[in-house]
Amino acid sequence: MGETAFTTSDLGHAYGNIAALHSLDLQVPRGRTGLVGANGAGKSTLIMALLGIITPTTGTASVLGMDTRSETIDIRGVVGYMPEGPCLPLDQTAADFLVFAAGTAGLPKRAARQRASDVLTLVGLNEERFRYLGDFSTGMKQRAKLAQAIVHDPDLVFLDEPTSGLDPSGREEMLDLIGRLGSYGIDVIVSSHVLRDIERTCSWVIMLDRGTLLHAGPIGSDRTEGTVHLELIDDPQHVETALVRAGATVTKQGRVLQVSAEHGDVYDIVRDSVAAAGASIRKLDASGGSLEDMFLHHGEGL
Amino acid sequence: MTEQIGAVYDLGYEPFEGERTGRAGARKTLYFDGIRRVLGLRRKARRKVMPWALLFIAIVPPIVAVGISFVIPPGAADTIDLAGQNAEFFSLAGTITMLFTALAAPELLIPDRKDGVLSMLASRPLTTADYLGTRLASLVTVVGVFMIIPQLVLFLGQAGTDPEGLFKGLVNAADTLPRIVAVAAVYTIAYVPLGFVIASLSNRKSIATASYLAVMIALTAFAEALVRGSNISGGRWAALLAPINTADAANVWIFGGSNAESLLAAADIHPAFGILALVVAGAALSVFALNRYRRLM
Repeated sequence: MGETAFTTSDLGHAYGNIAALHSLDLQVPRGRTGLVGANGAGKSTLIMALLGIITPTTGTASVLGMDTRSETIDIRGVVGYMPEGPCLPLDQTAADFLVFAAGTAGLPKRAARQRASDVLTLVGLNEERFRYLGDFSTGMKQRAKLAQAIVHDPDLVFLDEPTSGLDPSGREEMLDLIGRLGSYGIDVIVSSHVLRDIERTCSWVIMLDRGTLLHAGPIGSDRTEGTVHLELIDDPQHVETALVRAGATVTKQGRVLQVSAEHGDVYDIVRDSVAAAGASIRKLDASGGSLEDMFLHHGEGL
Repeated sequence: MTEQIGAVYDLGYEPFEGERTGRAGARKTLYFDGIRRVLGLRRKARRKVMPWALLFIAIVPPIVAVGISFVIPPGAADTIDLAGQNAEFFSLAGTITMLFTALAAPELLIPDRKDGVLSMLASRPLTTADYLGTRLASLVTVVGVFMIIPQLVLFLGQAGTDPEGLFKGLVNAADTLPRIVAVAAVYTIAYVPLGFVIASLSNRKSIATASYLAVMIALTAFAEALVRGSNISGGRWAALLAPINTADAANVWIFGGSNAESLLAAADIHPAFGILALVVAGAALSVFALNRYRRLM
């Protein structure tokens, strides 16, 4: 098995005259990787190319060391896929569907039954296993979709917009589940246009924009040590003065201050300065570390 | 207000260490799923009504015939000669099978597309041909069994009423078994591939069912009109476009009956050539369905 989750070389795909992916060169390590970009960025197309569902127009790709063109069936035996759209037979019970899903992934019948039961418990649907999928709520359907993707204990799972349509608590639970997959020995590729979801669950990120690679690398690699962004509710003038007096370097952009300190902990300096000025903080975070910062930074050249 | 939909418990995770059956196992799972789906098994009760009702209707006439032949002794004026009934019961079962295919083919293919199950199956160790082939195999199996069960009832009735006893009766009636299999195969080839193609083109089960029945009836009417009602040169070959008539004629021919009234006879086409035409058309329709699905999976 390869050391990388997947690699691509000059990978491109077009739907007729519309190019969906442009010459992607990637080497993605095993672990949890996020695939981010706006709708139409090419995330789903990349996943489908890696699964061999579509044949790329140009270039090559391999998943877990196996070529996507010549070893498609072998790849599909060891990966799972949770599509963005619906994929559940509405006239089957959750238990029957999971047994079917495990069987079509190549698990023997007895093992399929056992795994179906275990995975339904894992995703919190054990109580609902004899209900028809057509009677499930959106949140339950998303969990059933995740369950079918991992029921055969894959080495790698592709999750396409797994939090789509979920309410805040459902979203939290789904992200928790995704976060736990790594500890089960399952590598994860998560596609999402919600940067916070990726930030929370992944250690690596691939950023796409209109089929073009913006950036690929570890999350937080752009973080500037010792620098924070401080956003205040009121006029930041007094805080800025206090910060400068405390020895910090301050760059002001409206009500947002970029603060860095060569000596001492920048967070301590900010705390003391805000307290001295009697100001209120709206937001405080590490500079350049968020995916949003990364996305904006790498998208500037477009 | 947020709906509480259950809790997530982390009870640990057991990786699967056993042997994986791969593509062969995936095909087997899909095949048996197809059979269960066609018969409505492991589905809501209303899904079971039509397939089991049709099977019941197909099986009752031979049971009644066999029952009568047991009650009325052989040689009596009102007795039923079971030995001459195979082709007739096949013709009846053929009509019921056509209705069954009209319902079963859409049930097999359309929900997978409509509910998005194809996108899940596309990530499994299966090719498009595996998917369509196993779905076709499921339908062929059920349709074949559908046609053969009434004939087996008849076969056992023939053996049971044989004046020489049951064992000798089984030996005497044994020569009908290969014919039963052959005729069941002919009806299956005549009815199933077209049902599959129409189900692959429609997004609604009711429309697919109605379209299939309409096409089958229209093909017969068109062929009848060209063969018997027109003087168009070469029009007799239109007889090969009517799968119902061709299968019925092949059925009578295989059981050694007279085909003088059939459309094929009117067109001066031998039933064996009709069977060949059914096989070629079935293959062409299957390739068409495969190409259609290559764009979907």
